[in-house]
Amino acid sequence: MALYGIKSFILDAPLYRSAMNSMRSIKQKGLDILPNAQFSNEKFLNYLGNIGKNFSSDKQRLALGVTALVTQPFIDAHNKSVDEKTRKVSVARTVAKIIAGTLTGFLIRYGCIKSLKAFSQIPGKGIPKYKSIFTPKGIIDNTTDAFEQYRNAMGTIIALGVMLFTNFLIDAPLTKFLTNTFVKHQEMEDKK
Amino acid sequence: MANLFSSFKSAMYKNYGENPGKMLVHTGVLGWILSAMAQVSAVVFNDKISKEQKSFLIPQEMADAAINIISFYVITSSFKNLASKLVSTGKLSTVKIRNHIKSKLANPTDYIGKLGTNIEKDFPEIKGDYKAFKNGVDVVASTVGSIISCNIVTPVLRNQYAAQKQKEAIARMHSNDSKHEINSPNKVSMDSYIKLASMKAPSGNLKI
Repeated sequence: MALYGIKSFILDAPLYRSAMNSMRSIKQKGLDILPNAQFSNEKFLNYLGNIGKNFSSDKQRLALGVTALVTQPFIDAHNKSVDEKTRKVSVARTVAKIIAGTLTGFLIRYGCIKSLKAFSQIPGKGIPKYKSIFTPKGIIDNTTDAFEQYRNAMGTIIALGVMLFTNFLIDAPLTKFLTNTFVKHQEMEDKK
Repeated sequence: MANLFSSFKSAMYKNYGENPGKMLVHTGVLGWILSAMAQVSAVVFNDKISKEQKSFLIPQEMADAAINIISFYVITSSFKNLASKLVSTGKLSTVKIRNHIKSKLANPTDYIGKLGTNIEKDFPEIKGDYKAFKNGVDVVASTVGSIISCNIVTPVLRNQYAAQKQKEAIARMHSNDSKHEINSPNKVSMDSYIKLASMKAPSGNLKI
């Protein structure tokens, strides 16, 4: 009750109202600066609709990994605050880390999201209980877009739990192995 | 326990069932948090790392984690929120949605692009087309935001942070040449600092 009173006092205060109005006016001006845009190309709109429907976290991880291979080694290679040798090792480790992280990150997310489909069936005759372990209560249709998005989200959460272990069991040793391979290769190239 | 799991499933369905862009931002942040926790606990529970070394490595890992998590959340959610606002106010739209609004309102220019506008709420009859467009834009914006934060902003910030730490250590080394000891509260020797700094890659945590 006391908290409600404090909240009302703050919300009704002229200073607060004036600050909020100013903020709103700034936001509106920002919005006004941006031009209106509308899309009519059906092919493009269908493609965008499909992205919204089917682009899950596994694909996002893959997109992050592929673009990381373009940007991150470049940033490390131009890091003037470290010496040349450190820079080379840093680039090698970054590339190794991206390859290891993207491979495991994508495959585990993909596997968990796909597997979740088998364990999120609608309860009913002939469906064992474990096959509906991930189905939320009250759901009678598992073919809707909303349910697909739920499967993607839940599959991602499970994948993150799995990756807490694979981060050490697969990513770290694979990163070390790839870094050493790249550094050795780099040294051999330098000797030539 | 069963009730808790049931509530968790319902909350997941309610929150992310119709909002894939939000799901990508939230699971991305969770991914960074878990990566950071794994990295910090790997140092905390590693018996081969001495107490002195831990006092150096743990704050470093935590600073790395803070940069990763904050920059990911701030940039990705800003991209997603801006895109959502543009779509919900009709600034960014499809011809079909725009024509429908024009056919229903006498003066659509007073409606489109205004902060209080909410197409989903005001025109439920075009919810299908609107949702398909909005979800697509949200996912593209979240992905572009995450690429910019993870692959451009974070590596640059991390390199700057690592360079700053290195410069501080070198400055301390010069001012304490006779002792070769850093006057930090942790009392890490310069030899061990250099060894530890070389162990740690400037490019930060392993992203899961």
